Amino acid sequence: MGMRFEQDGIGAAALRLLAGTGSVIALLAAWEVLARAGVVSEFLLPRFSDVVGRIWEDALGGVLFVQIGLTVWRAVLGFALAGLVGIVVGVVMARNRGANWFFDPIVSIGFPSPKIAFLPVFILWFGLDDSSKVLMTVFAAVFPVIVATAAGTEGVDKYLIWSARNAGASERDILHEIVLPAALPQIMTGLQVALPISLIITIVSEMVMGGEGLGGNMIQAGRFADSLGVFAGIVQIAIAGYVLIKGMEILRRRLLAWHQETQQISTF
Amino acid sequence: MADASAAGAGGIRIANVGHTYRPPRGRPVTALEEVSLEVAENEFLALLGPSGCGKSTLLYLIGGFLPIESGGISVGGTPVAAPGPDRGVVFQHFALFPWKTVRENVLYGLEKQRLPKAEREARAAAFIEMVHLDGFEDSYPSQLSGGMKQRVAIARTLAMDPGTLLMDEPFGALDAQTRSLMHEELLAILKRTAKTVVFVTHDVQEAVLLADRVAVMTARPGRIKTVVDVADVGGAADAIRDPRFVEKVDFLWGQVRDEALAAQKGGAG
Amino acid sequence: MTAALWRYTPLFLIAAAWEGAIRAGLMDSSLLPPFSEVMAALGRLVVDPELYRHAAASLMREVAGFGLAVIVGIALGIVMAWYVPVRILVNPLVRCIYPMPKSALIPVMIMWLGLGHLAKIGLIFLGCLLPVIVSAFNAARGVDTVLIWSAQAAGATRRQILTEIVLPASLPEILAGVRTSLALSFVLLVSSEFLMAREGLGYMIAFLGEGGVYDAMFAAVLLVTGIGFAADRAYLAVARRLLVWRE
Repeated sequence: MGMRFEQDGIGAAALRLLAGTGSVIALLAAWEVLARAGVVSEFLLPRFSDVVGRIWEDALGGVLFVQIGLTVWRAVLGFALAGLVGIVVGVVMARNRGANWFFDPIVSIGFPSPKIAFLPVFILWFGLDDSSKVLMTVFAAVFPVIVATAAGTEGVDKYLIWSARNAGASERDILHEIVLPAALPQIMTGLQVALPISLIITIVSEMVMGGEGLGGNMIQAGRFADSLGVFAGIVQIAIAGYVLIKGMEILRRRLLAWHQETQQISTF
Repeated sequence: MADASAAGAGGIRIANVGHTYRPPRGRPVTALEEVSLEVAENEFLALLGPSGCGKSTLLYLIGGFLPIESGGISVGGTPVAAPGPDRGVVFQHFALFPWKTVRENVLYGLEKQRLPKAEREARAAAFIEMVHLDGFEDSYPSQLSGGMKQRVAIARTLAMDPGTLLMDEPFGALDAQTRSLMHEELLAILKRTAKTVVFVTHDVQEAVLLADRVAVMTARPGRIKTVVDVADVGGAADAIRDPRFVEKVDFLWGQVRDEALAAQKGGAG
Repeated sequence: MTAALWRYTPLFLIAAAWEGAIRAGLMDSSLLPPFSEVMAALGRLVVDPELYRHAAASLMREVAGFGLAVIVGIALGIVMAWYVPVRILVNPLVRCIYPMPKSALIPVMIMWLGLGHLAKIGLIFLGCLLPVIVSAFNAARGVDTVLIWSAQAAGATRRQILTEIVLPASLPEILAGVRTSLALSFVLLVSSEFLMAREGLGYMIAFLGEGGVYDAMFAAVLLVTGIGFAADRAYLAVARRLLVWRE
């Protein structure tokens, strides 16, 4: 997820930071200028300053936090449940042949296919309230966690397990103290794939089902040709997504301080 | 050093051991056939042979990591059934727990032995110092060089005070200078705490330098081809210039070379 | 053959359990039609010309949006990795926008491009562009410097190094990234067709659901799942072809 930079002097790093901030500011300025100049209509591209104004208004009224909170809550709850279920199923698949036999075809079909197609099924089964949005998110986000956990658990170096056995560790100890920590880099990668999926799916679910939340608001704004509302929604979602995904990266760095970040899951 | 002819109370007895490796796909391969060998208590035995001859397999059978299919192995009079802390293993690629610091790696086995906390800490510190890694207690393995990693692995194994030390090409991944330093350190450590050692290597000079006896294995299926007493030579870094040392190395090198050639032919056929 | 049959046996077991549970009255058939009825509906669906009208619309959007994203994304990613000024200016933008949940673009696409094909193509293109750029960028940056030096020593020009060394060397990682984007493109396609379409497979599912024709809706959901899976398998087969040198 993160990008590599060559490690050179502090001066160069500062310059890059400057250029980076500069280019983001330049983009926003270009947006503002383009909108003010009337190159495109106010409807297609409202001024950035107006969008910020709208967000500020919503923030003052408190609506903003309720709407963002609802969307983030659904996405994070779905993500957390998907993580929990995915890790358990992945570990069981890697360690039990029968479970592997049973889940393998389901996972190999479920992993690449567009789970969002099941959204009408979730609506049919669970109605239009939170539970169907969250469960839709769980269903869409669970597969990458299963795949990554199973691969990570299976790939644990045999000699690490032997070392623990040699020290007198029980099979239970080995699962908790050796297999899970050793598989953690891959499990984290699976979770980092699942998090943006959770956000995407939660937002689509909100858009389709309507009601409170950023997705519902945006589609509503779109239908009422409230372009300011649509762009305010995009900025809010972008910020929420950025914070969550950066948070996950920081968590990864914390948890995997011991790990040389050289391994990356190859899908082939 | 101990009398090489009898497996004493802490010695290893290997009788008619065979092992067949069954890959998930493909034909089964006979890795070991009718291997019999005795290692006396506190004796240092090197297992020498061409790659793929099953010497590591034999070591893992003694360790209890692989099931014994035919024949029997006993260590200190007790038949081997499962891995245990009485037989400490040092693996070729260190097998350190990468998410644990140096100290935590060394402590792991001591915790499993349920030693009191104070004693655990003291022992870990003592063994880290013994391998000259004091100051690196809180480093992660990924921050250490290859030689340092292997010293951690040795400290981790020795801290459990096993009567038997099983080493699987422990210095194979190190550069020549580091390896030679490690040889001296290992010999110094063994002088302080006597242990029965089985040391797998394909480096003839290393075998003669460290061991009391060297067992040469045949190409696959692995059998014991010959056992040579080398207790009178080696044991110090300057021994390699001793003519008797050179003679033993030359003899053993000839033995291993024959097997390596045989293995190559077998591989081509 | 028997191995494949054994492998997919769990799916047959699930189908049998599904059918059995409804026949035994353990599950409400108004919420889940029996498997046999869904299969019958699937049989009717695949001979219905309507299906092919929807499928053709979806296919067109998918190919145009995803194809464009792959071509533009790989080119931009490699250029970003290769030319320092481009990297310094564009990289922060990419890093800033990359984490945005791509489905948030749907209402903007409706506003900009209306309810026709263009809005879906635009959504898939924009949604997949950044992931492809990022994977191509990372892949090209990860190319072993020694390979580039060898090419330089052999007298290759900068341009030749780019096309003959950097591109092939980064291909495995690029292809892995493109696979992730392929899955994303299907999600965006179906989502946008739920929300803003009068044709397409996603629209068809939503339409059947709203009409209460649940056996056909389930059949269509399974069909779309199967298409997503088949597309991934086909992609893997092509990717393996392109990477034979790696084995």
